[in-house]
Amino acid sequence: MTVHRTEAGVIILEGVCPVEDAEPLLQMLQRTPKAALDWTQCERMHTAVLQVILASGIAPIGRCGDTWVAQWVAPGLHKAAGD
Amino acid sequence: MNALHEQFVTEARDLIRRATDQLIALERYGASDEAASYVLRALHTLKGSAGIVELPAMSITLHAAEDLVAGLREGTLVADSDIIDAVMACLDQVSHWVDEFEAAGVLPFQAGEDGRAMAERLRSFLTNAAADPVAPASREPAGSAGELPSWIARLIAAISSMPEPPGHATAILYEPAVGCFYNGDDPLQLMRQVPGLAACHIEAREPFAALSEIDPYACNMRFQALSIAEREDISRIFRLVPDQVRLIGIPRQALPAANAAQPSLALVRNVLEAQREMLNVPGRKADLLGCIGSAVRAAANALRYGAPPELAEAVLRGGALATAQQTPAPLLEALEQALTALAAVPSTLSDTRLGQPQARATNEVERAADRVLRVGAAKVDALVNLAGELVVAKNALARSARRVEQELGGTEISRAVERDREAIERLVTELHGAVLQLRMIEAAQLFRSFPRLIRDVARQLDKKVALVTRGETTEFDKSIMDRLFEPMVHLLRNALDHGIENPEQRHAAGKPETATISIAASRAGDRLLIEVADDGRGIDPAAIRKRASENRLLAPDELDALTDEQAIDLVFSAGFSTAPALSDISGRGIGMDAVRSGIEQMGGRVALESWKGIGTTVRLDLPTTVSMSRIMLVETGGQLFGISMDAVSETVRVTPDRISRVKKNYGVILRERVVPIVSLAERMKLPERARDQAAPRLLVIVESAGKIVAFEVDAIRDRLDVVLKPMQGLLEGVRGFAGTTLLGNGQVLLVLDAKELLQ
Repeated sequence: MTVHRTEAGVIILEGVCPVEDAEPLLQMLQRTPKAALDWTQCERMHTAVLQVILASGIAPIGRCGDTWVAQWVAPGLHKAAGD
Repeated sequence: MNALHEQFVTEARDLIRRATDQLIALERYGASDEAASYVLRALHTLKGSAGIVELPAMSITLHAAEDLVAGLREGTLVADSDIIDAVMACLDQVSHWVDEFEAAGVLPFQAGEDGRAMAERLRSFLTNAAADPVAPASREPAGSAGELPSWIARLIAAISSMPEPPGHATAILYEPAVGCFYNGDDPLQLMRQVPGLAACHIEAREPFAALSEIDPYACNMRFQALSIAEREDISRIFRLVPDQVRLIGIPRQALPAANAAQPSLALVRNVLEAQREMLNVPGRKADLLGCIGSAVRAAANALRYGAPPELAEAVLRGGALATAQQTPAPLLEALEQALTALAAVPSTLSDTRLGQPQARATNEVERAADRVLRVGAAKVDALVNLAGELVVAKNALARSARRVEQELGGTEISRAVERDREAIERLVTELHGAVLQLRMIEAAQLFRSFPRLIRDVARQLDKKVALVTRGETTEFDKSIMDRLFEPMVHLLRNALDHGIENPEQRHAAGKPETATISIAASRAGDRLLIEVADDGRGIDPAAIRKRASENRLLAPDELDALTDEQAIDLVFSAGFSTAPALSDISGRGIGMDAVRSGIEQMGGRVALESWKGIGTTVRLDLPTTVSMSRIMLVETGGQLFGISMDAVSETVRVTPDRISRVKKNYGVILRERVVPIVSLAERMKLPERARDQAAPRLLVIVESAGKIVAFEVDAIRDRLDVVLKPMQGLLEGVRGFAGTTLLGNGQVLLVLDAKELLQ
């Protein structure tokens, strides 16, 4: 599983997150909408995964491991979450 | 190409042709419900088929055409020439795509964009029609930044916060289909591949529902981006989803002016990083070279504009290496070095601006003519060739049968062989005839593209012309049609350009304003007669004489000696043109002589009759099939001759020591037979070329009627399939030749009669 939750309640995205990760990620966020999301280990994410993150309105922790997302998506995301 | 695709190609061509015919009828006779419905149905079917073979670009284009024709049918639009032109242009585009699809199995990269542009052009007619309720398609920004959609302005603002904005850019609006995840699409993956990305904004297409109600597998995203790469490279990325993406060129003046006072390399670095990112996307095999190419272009452009020139050079070299080795590694290395170097560059920039216009690579697929019968024509041709070879084999069998008769005459076995030979001969002859019949097509197929041609040319010339065709069911060989098409086009263009007067002139001459061109096909025995007639101004023999004397085609006394008919016949001379000025349509002085040589090459004749003020009629008299013979082209005594391949048993090169002299004659021993050597030049009474006595001699061994001779020639040039014409006119009584044929360069070639040569 490339998306999992630590005992401390942090949701972690790891490696290449395929489309199938969108559903478990959504379920985790539905249960704990304020959970911290760590995407630093995520090498590449599918659009569906990104969509869930955007829809949740949370600002993930740290620099996204998916460099394209870090460069082009994350700045807007942090700004939106910070607003 | 699978069966489904093949069927699509055949069907699409048929639908396009029929829709075109009906469109012309629509224009000529007004929007009848029937014609409009027909076009509509054809477009609709075509759109559906395009959907099935997954050509979305074709679908969106046809959809727009369908809307337009629906407007015609409902009477909200008037079928004027502009609208008909637009729909025809759409069909032309679709027809071109069908050709490309047939040739390459896919549409060209820019098809999506072209289709969208075409659809917008078509829709503009709808929005111009005031009564029409259809919402206007969003217009492309044309002039100033004031007209740009706000999202583009926002993206530009994002760049201008960088110190150094680019010189040109393309805005990308990508709205993936809701169900795209189920198709295995990853929109983000496409965006990662966009070269030269300068700004990007991702948002929800519809505001996201509450987290508890979200369907994670329904895509609800919108991507907005700006790229400074070549538009072509961008549309290549989105080639599979043209219906979901829009590319909008940002006019240069809409981009903020470069601020040379505060040069910075941030943007260049951004572009380079983006390329590195794109190349690092794993699992890319199919379009790797395309990616390398676009990455090199984007990176080199950026570097040229804002970095020391040697960095761009290094990237280009890296790109060339990467392309050669089919791995991005060398390019990545070059990009890495460039990025390192940029960090150390003093902040002075060259003035060179980004975005030199690049010639758009038009991968012009040769427009394949409509060659499909029910069965592919190639298969039929193969069958025709096989039947032809069977005829040759049948002849060989006849020879063997005769030998059996000579040696075993009167025996049971000899009678059995003779009986079987007769049966086979009859069957082969019938088979050959039946196979040739397969290629027979009706004249209607030849005529079908002419209404469109005449309409377009007449419109271009502001003339009114009606076309009448007769004898559509006349049958002739497809190879005749293939060769007849071009001469016919020349004839029709000539009639339109030179023959038909403009409406005012016709009115003044007391003729109906609409001229008539008629094409009639008929059979006379085994000949095909085609008549092209117009009721135009006719040819004036005096004008022809004047032109001929100006062009020094003939001497004055020769011209005077011509009858009017002979003078008119001069229009077939090479380099003759009666139009006072050259035009696009015809009149380059190559038309009519090309017609005559084209027709004569297939064993036909052209005759022209014209009456001043009344009109002109051109009659083509053609064989209904092309009978081909295979010949060998040899050179001797400085001249070319043809020898029928049927008579040539082999060609050999022998050294002089193998040639022996018997009394006054020379001979050579081949396969234990003494074969006499005859110099072809001597035989044809031509001067013999001086040659090196020690050099090997080239011999063509000709065998016929039990005799064998080695003809010595200077060279063997070629082997050709030709249509042999019997010796005519002055040459009629000359012996030793089987006939003549025209070579590609217009030269007349004499083909030797092997049987007579051996006498």
